[in-house]
Amino acid sequence: MSGLRVLNTSIFLFIVFLIQETVIARIKFPIDGFSLYLAALMVLLSLEDRSGSIVFGFIGGLIMDLSIAADTPFGQWALILTLIGYLFSLNKESIGDFTQSPIIFIMFISLASAFALIVYLAIGALLGQNNGTLSHLISIVFANSFWTFLITPLFLPLIIKTRTALLSNRERI
Amino acid sequence: MARGGGNRSRLLLVLLLVSSLFLITLDLRGVNLAGTFRSGVSTAVSPVENLFSRLFSPIGNFASDIRNFGQSKSKISELEKQVDLLKSKEVLDEDVIGQLAQLKSVLDLAGRGGYKVVAAKVINRGSSSSFNQTITIDVGSSDGISRNMTVISDGGLVGVVKSVSSNSAIVLLMSDPTFKIGVRITGTQSIGVVSGQGGNKYLLQLLDATGEIKVGDTLVARGSEEGRPFVPGVPVGTVTTVQSNASSITQNADVEGLSNLDRVGLVAVVVSGPKQDPRDSLIPKPAPTVTVFVTPTPTPSATN
Repeated sequence: MSGLRVLNTSIFLFIVFLIQETVIARIKFPIDGFSLYLAALMVLLSLEDRSGSIVFGFIGGLIMDLSIAADTPFGQWALILTLIGYLFSLNKESIGDFTQSPIIFIMFISLASAFALIVYLAIGALLGQNNGTLSHLISIVFANSFWTFLITPLFLPLIIKTRTALLSNRERI
Repeated sequence: MARGGGNRSRLLLVLLLVSSLFLITLDLRGVNLAGTFRSGVSTAVSPVENLFSRLFSPIGNFASDIRNFGQSKSKISELEKQVDLLKSKEVLDEDVIGQLAQLKSVLDLAGRGGYKVVAAKVINRGSSSSFNQTITIDVGSSDGISRNMTVISDGGLVGVVKSVSSNSAIVLLMSDPTFKIGVRITGTQSIGVVSGQGGNKYLLQLLDATGEIKVGDTLVARGSEEGRPFVPGVPVGTVTTVQSNASSITQNADVEGLSNLDRVGLVAVVVSGPKQDPRDSLIPKPAPTVTVFVTPTPTPSATN
């Protein structure tokens, strides 16, 4: 993986993050919200090779930690998404099977987003954060997963095409 | 399951995990890394947020529109007639009128309370990376805003300023589950604590076990020392249900907020509190009822 690709992909992730923070966050969904950024990152991590999943998990997490409304320690999302990236890298072959069928891939992305949020809550609990009542948290995780399942098909081709465009010539071969 | 390239991946993983833990430790030990980066991002993002706020305000409520789709269908024909009617008149921007009305109400509330305020527009809501319920407003440290200032709307309390950059600020909403405020019941003067529950319902816990709570009681902020984070007298909510539980040490009640946090578009940040506690003067008064007395006049009988 070239340094240039790491830079390009980081810029791409930052642009998605800006869209999330400035546009998607404004939309009032009927049941809680949707994270375009988390969904896009999960798509990217599932398509990357072993080391790519871990590196982009870390970079993606660092970008997510930049969120201006976040009240969490800087590095918490980086830790979580590095772990998620590692889990992706461990199960690369199985995830590769999911990507063959769009519907299963989207289901996988929804579940992965929900799993990332659950890990965030678990680590937050270990760090003594109060994120609200259990029912409130369940509704947020469920809603995120639900909206990810519904909305991801709209932008999935774009993410895949952008990722392909960011690959170096050697990686394309 | 293949584990090829394991050593390199594991080394990378350990390196990145250690880096993450290092960053978390620095942050928890008070090295303000996050503040510096987030403030930078906030400064860079707020002009974009302002732009999108103008461009995308019509789609901001699209989800609620979808929910009302069934009702909307029957209204379409009626609305089409109204559109024709409006075209013939001078069309005023409803959004601007609504915002002006909201601004007038919030400034009126601030004036009655003797608060010195800075009016602000809500430019963003929530965050993708946090479970906190927040809004972003378009004023910051360059407008005299700092942390722990009370934020009010036309209805009453909205929240408290959590972080500030040069031209924007994040407000922690009172609906956030971590939000707590000391309140006073206007009638009985009993004091208690109201906490956010994630929606427009709040929980009141009376500090005095013998205190009385009644449905319809209005709660106002008790105020903090030097008005930070809460200035006194700001209306908070109304008691909707009293929870009677004999085994509970404290008395609890469900409270409905006076500010509709879902619809708040303009707010005011209280930059300095009143010289005197406004006590109960800011509580919304019920609209006066007009009573008309009619004395029936006797019907003139038919004379032959």
